Amino acid sequence: MRRAWKSPVIARDAAPTPRAAQQALPFVEPAPLVEPLLLVPARVQRLWFCVWLPGLPLEASRSSDSAAAVIEEQQGIHRVLLADPKAQAAGVMAGQSANAALALLPTLQLEERSLPREQQTLEALATWLERFSSFVCIADRDVLLLEIAGSLRLFGGLRELRKEISKGLRQHGFDASLAIAPTPLGATWLARAGRRACIRDQQNLQSALRHLPIRSLNWPEGLCATLIGMGVTTIGDCLRLPREGFVRRFGAEHMLALDRALGLLPDPRNSWRAPERFCADHEMPEEQSDRERLINICYELLLSHEQFLLARQLGTQRLCFSFFHLKGPATELRLGCAQADRSAKRWLELLRIRFDQLVLPQPVIAIRLRSGVTQALRAESSRLNFHDSNEGQTRRYSITQLAERLIARIGEQSVHSVGLVAEHRPQHAWRVQSLFSDWASSTLTEVRRHWRRPLWMLPEPALLPAHSGYPLHQGGPIRLLDGPERLETGWWDEEGISRDYYTAVNPAGMRLWVFRNRRRPSSWYLHGYFG
Amino acid sequence: MSASIEKLLESPRIWRGRNQTQRKAGLPSGYPELDRHLPGGGWPLKALTEILIEQYGIGELRLLMPALIRLSTEDVQLDYSEPGWIAWIAPPFQPYPPALQQCGIDLSRMLIVRPKDPGEILWSAEQALSSGTCAAVLFWAEQLDDQASRRLQLAAEKGHSWAIAFRPMAARTQPSAAALRLELHSSSDGTRVHILKSRGGRPTILNKLL
Repeated sequence: MRRAWKSPVIARDAAPTPRAAQQALPFVEPAPLVEPLLLVPARVQRLWFCVWLPGLPLEASRSSDSAAAVIEEQQGIHRVLLADPKAQAAGVMAGQSANAALALLPTLQLEERSLPREQQTLEALATWLERFSSFVCIADRDVLLLEIAGSLRLFGGLRELRKEISKGLRQHGFDASLAIAPTPLGATWLARAGRRACIRDQQNLQSALRHLPIRSLNWPEGLCATLIGMGVTTIGDCLRLPREGFVRRFGAEHMLALDRALGLLPDPRNSWRAPERFCADHEMPEEQSDRERLINICYELLLSHEQFLLARQLGTQRLCFSFFHLKGPATELRLGCAQADRSAKRWLELLRIRFDQLVLPQPVIAIRLRSGVTQALRAESSRLNFHDSNEGQTRRYSITQLAERLIARIGEQSVHSVGLVAEHRPQHAWRVQSLFSDWASSTLTEVRRHWRRPLWMLPEPALLPAHSGYPLHQGGPIRLLDGPERLETGWWDEEGISRDYYTAVNPAGMRLWVFRNRRRPSSWYLHGYFG
Repeated sequence: MSASIEKLLESPRIWRGRNQTQRKAGLPSGYPELDRHLPGGGWPLKALTEILIEQYGIGELRLLMPALIRLSTEDVQLDYSEPGWIAWIAPPFQPYPPALQQCGIDLSRMLIVRPKDPGEILWSAEQALSSGTCAAVLFWAEQLDDQASRRLQLAAEKGHSWAIAFRPMAARTQPSAAALRLELHSSSDGTRVHILKSRGGRPTILNKLL
């Protein structure tokens, strides 16, 4: 259960659950047509929801079922920072040295504290919390703040919202302390003090904060000790001190913090923005070479990728899988698709085609999925189809889907469409077109009716052998049927031509398109078959 | 006639002579003499057609062109809301777009695929056929065994598509599941078409068709 946040896990989409939204509806009262209060520039009432995660170092670490503790080096000695309940039951406590803890519980799993992993976990959690509020803020190493005044109506009130959030946190294995207050610092302090407080009005804030102990403010240890030595143990005591004296002795920033917590000063915060590009890793406990297992892991990554994009209404055209090995460089697999997409199923289909051909030099220890540039995805409504049962209809892929599949296996250069170019030189009169470009553009050019052009064109003109000046093809003389058609110049680039084109027939009856080069050396070439 | 006899007579193993009624209408080839000898009065759609040639460029495209033009411009299959695509898989030379446009092929619905190895040619052909997007799939395959031809035949049925395989003359003796097998010979006085196998029809030789 305490399988905490792995970095890639971004569970459901950020949209509110329909159930919550429906529940909200019956309580909505019709708003009066004219809101007189709106005419007065009133201060917008904000409400901050604080999530404090005291056990984050332990929750971010890879925990197993056995007793575990997180250690941190303090003055050269590894000391226990946090111990889980099983370890605590055996007598392991914070502050013990690692050796002492191991002596108490030999099976104890010790894990070095990893701040980057904590940050990752916190960011993943912030991303998940974005479904509840458009304003999520990572306030500290272990504190998340949500502005929820705007979300109350949607989620059916404060109580419902709070229940949803705490249920989700529990499900993801977090032991959090929650508090709600009109100021961000107030909420943080209440959460840190472990009060499950819920204060909606500014007026009640001061009385609630008054009784909080100084230690819950997360102020420097020396300062707290001094204050407590003076007999100042609560915020209320602090506020009773003369302001000038307080500022002179302890610094202005602490006074400012008190003012901000009480709402006397504004406290602007920066909203946390989830990255626009998806990047997630899946690390395996041991090396894996079973391809079906690897595909399944890739599918899980694709599913979280889909959720990530869904929450942002984005899609992507490029994906890159990296398969890491214990030794040697990672194997990369890039996938592309014609239209921006996020559907995990469709990506999986493309992945399967490519994965069959992928050579993995060694077993895989980790897989990373990175998405390419994301772009806004048009919201598609699923089609109403009342004729689904009609068995005569075959399921049609679109041409883009077909092309995607072909490209995934054969490569982008080998799958294309063609278009015309207004050009008199035969080899320049057409071009390769990407299937995903604008198809309509090619129809603008018309080929003149009276030009005789072969259906088959050789990639390069082939020199025809000649016998006393007459060209031969397949060992026999060719007979000219039609021509010449003189095609000349191209001085604007390096490929100028000067040729007389003829339609010819060889002894076997094949119709050829040949030309005589009018420049020295004048020789005969085969350029196409009429097929 | 009772239903069971009806069913029995539909079996492809029973040949009922020239006067049998044709169920599946073919796609007119544009060559009346050829149409007369093809069951259904034209190319068999939703099936595999095999064309054996000594050498590419002797008239195989001219033979197909009238039918391809029809597929390219109108909705022949009826279940398509728009004309399908024409896929060219591993052509031996470059199909020349200006000439195709002169003939009346819609270039904006042409897909050219150039796989690298023979296995990929067949794979691409199967994908294109079963996608249901392509009205015709032309592919040039040196190797096409009985099993592969059966697969392609099924893919063509599934995708309502017309599969055309171009193969060298050496493949003549190999068994094939194709609904129609033709052989093309060119000579100074025209191209001869030899119908080797035709499901529901008879082998024939047509001289000077092209």
